[in-house]
Formats: sequence, structure tokens, C-alpha cells
Amino acid sequence: MNLDGHVVVAGLGFGDEGKGAVVDALCAGRPTTAVVRFNGGAQAAHNVVADGRHHTFSQFGAGTFAGVPTHLSHFVLVEPFALATEARQLEAAGIRNPLALLSVDGRALLTTPFHIHANRAREDARGQARHGSCGKGIGETVWYSLLRAANPGDVVEGQEVLGEPGEAPTVADCARPAVLRRKLDALARFYAPLATPRHSVDELVALYRDFAAAVRITDGEETGRLADRGRVVFEGAQGVLLDQHHGFHPHTTWSTTTPHNARELLAGRPHTVLGVVRTYHTRHGAGPFPTEDPAVLARYPEAHNGAGEYQGAWRAGHLDATLLDYAIAACDGVDALAVTHLDADRPRVVLDHGSPAVELTDPLAWFGARLPVAVTGYGPDRADYRVARPSRVPVTICG
Amino acid sequence: MGYGHWDDNAYAAAKTFRAAKGEDDFGYTANLRAKPANKWKVAAALNPRNATRECRDSADHGDSTPIAVLFDVTGSMRRVPRIMQGKLGKLHGLLKRKGYLADPQVLFGAIGDADSDRVPLQVGQFESDNRMDEQLRTIFLEGGGGGQKSESYELAAYFMARHVVTDAWRKRGRKGYLFIIGDELNKPALQAKHVRRVIGDDVHQDIDPASVYRELARKWHVFYVLPNQSSYFRDPEIGEHWSGLLGQNFLKLEDPGAVCELIAATIGLEEQVVDVDQALADLADIGSAAEGAAVGKALARLGTRPAVTSAVPDAGGPDDVVLR
Repeated sequence: MNLDGHVVVAGLGFGDEGKGAVVDALCAGRPTTAVVRFNGGAQAAHNVVADGRHHTFSQFGAGTFAGVPTHLSHFVLVEPFALATEARQLEAAGIRNPLALLSVDGRALLTTPFHIHANRAREDARGQARHGSCGKGIGETVWYSLLRAANPGDVVEGQEVLGEPGEAPTVADCARPAVLRRKLDALARFYAPLATPRHSVDELVALYRDFAAAVRITDGEETGRLADRGRVVFEGAQGVLLDQHHGFHPHTTWSTTTPHNARELLAGRPHTVLGVVRTYHTRHGAGPFPTEDPAVLARYPEAHNGAGEYQGAWRAGHLDATLLDYAIAACDGVDALAVTHLDADRPRVVLDHGSPAVELTDPLAWFGARLPVAVTGYGPDRADYRVARPSRVPVTICG
Repeated sequence: MGYGHWDDNAYAAAKTFRAAKGEDDFGYTANLRAKPANKWKVAAALNPRNATRECRDSADHGDSTPIAVLFDVTGSMRRVPRIMQGKLGKLHGLLKRKGYLADPQVLFGAIGDADSDRVPLQVGQFESDNRMDEQLRTIFLEGGGGGQKSESYELAAYFMARHVVTDAWRKRGRKGYLFIIGDELNKPALQAKHVRRVIGDDVHQDIDPASVYRELARKWHVFYVLPNQSSYFRDPEIGEHWSGLLGQNFLKLEDPGAVCELIAATIGLEEQVVDVDQALADLADIGSAAEGAAVGKALARLGTRPAVTSAVPDAGGPDDVVLR
């Protein structure tokens, strides 16, 4: 395990494990060339508190407070409106010209208001059978990108293709107004039967052109160049238990949340995979949660997570050993753990489904018996995080 | 979430991206002022010469209401035009958000001094989307003016009376809203040569400004706003002059940064959607509490008068009246 080299940070739960705080702690501790995002999009919400500043990182990497630039790889879905809002929030938090810290792979898909409105229209239509979507157009963006060969009436991934699909707009298109206009016109026509945002394609073309001028757009070799220059921290979004292949359908995100994308971007370069886990399990919105217990929810108040209009309620339950092992296996193994929320008072663990929850007298020892614990932490505040020194045996590190 | 108020959001996003690449919010002015004065000219989209501006109903906006905001950009206004330019882009979103009007369409323009300025009048087009922001950014802040305590407001008033066609008036006999923001007097006369040169109409007789405002008042609710931080905020002559022309529609505004909010609240009152208290509560609701104080003072007189209903003439009547 080498935390001085490239580190891939993946959440081993349903999200909200503390990936943001862990990425921040890794970046604050040692020189880091870049944080690379390898999945998800504007729905990510990674809380970091450092030196009295708080920000919920969404498209910017959680290393921003540590001054580390962010690269959005082609696996990321980019939403310029939300990006601008986040840039303003970061500026208010004292980061000078945050957009200058950002580079984006030109192949990254663009999430537009068309996708967002369609996403909400579909989720609203599901009524009580909601999937727990964040309402930010993520799934819709991926779905539309899969339709190139589809015809009206086809069913793709369980959804009927209503109109004539076009090519999916990408970040690189933002600098090519004619191409972008053609693709947005197709999007508008395609989604007209479902939902129409209140604005014109003209406006979007103008705005996206300003976006393209404000951030550095790169080719597909950027991650490799960054990784060859120095240490790169790969920040995963969502958790492995929401993974499109390994999660519990339909309560999944349309994204590979396991480290596989990061491994692909690293193209064989050595790295350490760090799995982030809380001392208890949490989940946002609908979906299975075997160890859920209202007593856990009442016991551990949450500072930065509430109920989202589209996402649904914040839920909590005991640590689930079966799900944890399952998540680690879905990653094809992780090298070490980052354990967060160690301040939780006497957490319990369910060792086998059906068996009662037993108290964890020494959570760190319990995790350490499974895998080396490389990072420990409490809330989202950087001051409460400890990163293992490479020379020491990680299991002995305490918060 | 943000998408409920797309206009504001897009406006803010565009501004953020432009700032990140180091582009001045008002690039047109910056570019022009770097050139010698004899090269200064109005942007084609804002040139009033031989132009007509239209506020039409459409499939999206079936009940359009025209709102025109023309602000004085001469030197006596000091920093005020820049503050206006930065703030006015939000006006449409503000009106929509509180539902004061179903389909507002907004036009921006700028007023200078036809005796001495290169660009004495700039008039954009009625828009209902974020092209408004672009219009504002294209306004040239010449900063001239003659120093004789008068600007060519009457020339702008003439353009609005004669060169604007609105479906609100033609189809429904409904007046539009015109806000002139400045700090000086009208010229003693609307000079025929200025009308010919700037607007292109074949007029050969000077015209009494009072008659221009009389004609204008048939189709428009006309307000004059005198903002603080301009040169003549405390000069009683300005108030007497404009009150004489517009009655209670002369408004003094302590905080020029509250101009958007003042316009929105004034329209809310005039439409009888809200009273002053509710208008101020609405402003607080959308995060404009600080502006609300200045707006409350500005509206103190307007709010106490009996409700004024627009005189609705026969919708089939003539569009033009003769100037006398």
C-alpha cells in the first residue's frame, strides 16, 4: 500500500461514505498533481470542511480546498449551469477563479436542461415507485447517448425511444457552435413529447460557448500526462452499492462506481485502491437496505445531508458485513480502507443477514482485521482526519 | 435545483464563465473607449435610426406586456449606469418569479446628449430571454453630456411614442411600462435636426417636450427614476420639472442598486397584484431585503394614492396622435 503514489478512492456503501473528506485529507497531506473524477456528474455531493470553510463538492474535485486542480475524465457527465453555480460558491469560500483549476476531457457527455427536465418528468410519472433519482438528468444523459443506432419505437434499457434520436452533445462540441446547435436541435425535438425546458437552443449555444472559453478542454491523453507528472488522486462518486452492474436494480446510478474506470485511465500504472466506509451504513432515497434501523438514524444526526425533493429521505442502519464484503468484491478487491465517522457512539454490526446487530467495541480493530486501515476520520472536517504514514503498519493508526 | 428560475440561472452562469476568462462584463464599452472618439458609434442592434421596435404576442407569450427601461449614460450619472447595466439583466426573472405579469418583454436603451454626444440614443429590442443580458452588455457608456443640466430624454420619449409597436396596445388597449432613469432636465425643445439625424424622421419643426410626453402617456405608463449617486439627486428643480410632466410617477431612489426591484415593485403596484407592503415582502422573499428599504422609500408616495386604472381607449382607435 503506497499512499504517496496514485490513489483511487471508491465508496463501499450507497454513497455518503466520506469520499470527499478522504480525498481532501489525501490532497492536504502530500503533493498532488490533480484530482481526477472517473464517474458520475453533477449529482455528486462530497462535503469537505477545512479551516472553517465548508463546501459540498459536486463537479469540482474535493481536493480544491487543498489547491489541487480537477480533471473531469471522459467518464464524467458535465453540467455547465451547475458548474457555474459551484464556481461561484467556491469563490465565496475564498477560492480565486476556481474555473481556472478545472480541465475537462472533450469527450465527456454534456448534461443539458433537456435531460434534466426529461429525468424529472419520468421520475414524477413513477409516483410512489420512484427510483430515488437526484433529478439532475444523469441517467437521461447516459440513456440518450446509447440511442445512436436506435429507431423510434425501440426499447433501449427498458425505456421506449419516442422520437428520432441524434448524436449526444459532448463538452468538445461547446466550442463548435454549428455542431452543438445541430445536436441540441435534435435533443429538443426528441424530448418535446416528454418535457420542454423554458429557453431556446440559441441561448444554450451562447452559454455553452462561454463555458468552453472558461475551462480548459483536453484530449483523451490528459489523465495519462497528469499521472506521469506526479501523484493523482482518483475521486469516485456515489458508492459501489449503487453501481450500474453491481447495485440493486432499479435503485442504481447509471455509472460505474467501482474503481474500474480509474484503472482504465491509469492504463497499468501502479496505484492503491482505497475503499471508504462509515462505521454504519447510510442511504439516500428508495432501495433495499437490509440493516436499516430508525434507532441508528436517531442516534447519528447528519450535518450536511437532508432529504432531497427527487432523491428522497436520508436513511441509516447498522454496519452490514455481508454488504461490505460484497462491495469489496465488486471492486475486485481494495488495498486498504478509509474508515470515517469513528465518532459514532458504539456502532453495531450485522455479521450475517438475519442475525442480530452486535456492538462494535473497537470498530478500528474490526475493520483492521479485514484490511489495512489507511485513513481514519470523524465528520467532514479535515482536522479530524489521519492518513497513515507509509513506514508504519496501518492497522495501528488511530484517529 | 435552480431550474425553476432558468433566466436568473443562465444569466448568472454566463456572467461566471465570462469573468473566468477575464472578459469585461461590458466589453463593447471597453473596446469602443479604447478607440478615438470619432470612431465611437452605436452597436447596430441598438441603433434607433430608421428603426421600429416591436413587442409582439407569440405562442409562448400570448399576453405580452412591454417594459422599456432607458437609462441616462452621461457623465453626471457617474457610476450609476454601470450599476444599472450590471443589475438590470435580472429584471425579467424578477417579474416572472413573483407573477406580476404573465409575459413581460423587456427592452433596454440608453440616453445621452444629442447636442454633444457621438451616441445620444441607443434602443434595443423587446426580449423575453437572456438576449436581454447581451443587449445590456452592448450598450455604450459614453459618459458625455454637455454640463447644462439637460439631456436628450425628449428624443428618447419621441422614439418610444412614434417608433414602437406593441400588441398589448393594438390588441388589448393595454399600456406598456416605460422607465426613464436619469438625473437632469429635458432639453427646452426637441430639436427637429436631432430627430432627423438620430432617428431619421423627416421632421422640420422643433417640438415642445411636454407634448411628446402627452402623446407617450397614451400608450405607456411613464416613470422617471432619479437615483442617488448621480449629480442632481438633491436638486429640487429636477423633481419639480419631472413631477410637472409625469405627476406622481417621479420617483427618487436612494440606492441605484435597487433599480430592478423598484421597477418590479412599481409594476406590481400598477397592476394591482400587490400593495406596497406585499411588494416589499416579495422582495424580502427573493433575497432583496436590502434593496427593499430603498424601494419602500421610493414608493412611499406612489403607494398612498388611490388605485389608478389605466385609461383604456377604444382598442380599434388610431395608433398615432398629432403632436401639438
